[in-house]
Amino acid sequence: MKKLLLTTMAVFALTVQAGSSSSVHNWNNGYSNSFKSAIKAAETGYKANLAVNMAWRDTRKMITEAKKLHKAGKNVAAIALANKAHKQTVNATAQTALTESAGPRF
Amino acid sequence: MKKLITTVAGLGLLVNVASADVASDQKAFINHFKTILPNVEFADYTNGVYAVDQDSREQFEEILDGIPPYEEAVEKGGKEYLKFGLNKCTSLKNPAVARIKHPYFDEATQQVVTLESAIKKCYQQQTGKKLGSKKGKIVRISAWISDQAAGQKVNVKVESIGARVAYEKGKTFFYAKRGQLNMSCADCHVYNAGKKARADILSPALGHTTHIPMYRAKWSGMGTLHRRYGGCLKNMRAKPLKAQSEAFRNMEFFHQAMSNGLEITADRYRK
Repeated sequence: MKKLLLTTMAVFALTVQAGSSSSVHNWNNGYSNSFKSAIKAAETGYKANLAVNMAWRDTRKMITEAKKLHKAGKNVAAIALANKAHKQTVNATAQTALTESAGPRF
Repeated sequence: MKKLITTVAGLGLLVNVASADVASDQKAFINHFKTILPNVEFADYTNGVYAVDQDSREQFEEILDGIPPYEEAVEKGGKEYLKFGLNKCTSLKNPAVARIKHPYFDEATQQVVTLESAIKKCYQQQTGKKLGSKKGKIVRISAWISDQAAGQKVNVKVESIGARVAYEKGKTFFYAKRGQLNMSCADCHVYNAGKKARADILSPALGHTTHIPMYRAKWSGMGTLHRRYGGCLKNMRAKPLKAQSEAFRNMEFFHQAMSNGLEITADRYRK
């Protein structure tokens, strides 16, 4: 019974931790609940994409628009857009890694 | 002495390998087009999409039978070539030779030099002013220079190690997927050439560079190859690079080399 209780508590504790950690910024999935970290991640990613000529067309516009929304006090929309922009940079980075093996398929 | 001979022989071998690789790349490229478009003759690829679609070809020929919309601009380009003293630059002195020579790999700067980059450089030397890279004066001059080489064949040489590196970079750029749509240049203009993308037929990459700069009905004017590269990237939702950037010049080096042996044409009308 003690073992079962301990296991249940451990599982519960891990679940709670996982749940709470998903609400802080995660660099891998492009999600953040704070505008500051979301926009910083988007801008850092975009800069890295630009350096290797792999930036996407609309990322810059999204970052600018997110900043405008934030300034206008529309924080939820601003964070969502900044996260979307960051997600684009994450995908562009993944695309960059594949360019090394790019070549004809014939 | 022995070391020197070995080094020289080694370098010679590397250069030979570079040339051979370009030839084998082009052979595979042409064979691919033979497979997907078996009815198109090699020489007809200078006509781009008009080699693939009969209806479009008829419209194209009707336009050429009249006064092509770019004719006046090309004539003006000839006058501008003299007006701005471009005939005084060694690289452009003989326009027909200039078109055939470019793009080439400059060993001194370790960069690919395109015809437009040579025009820009010469224009600045002669006038002290900068010239754009995508449309207007540079296109008119470049088109006039290209017209002087009409009927001659594209002959890009990739002979040194540096040239080979630039060529490989250009090749990688051409085949790499980019942008939100995750597509490469090759996805449209190699693997799906001749097929429709919405209402348009995708042109084959083979022969693309024989009719540049081009007049595009969509632009209602002429533009350089790099203007088109930028447009394609935008369509793929990738951020376009600057015309005459190193990456675009490298890609042009590869792109033109794939059309080696095809005739340069003055028929530069495209949809």
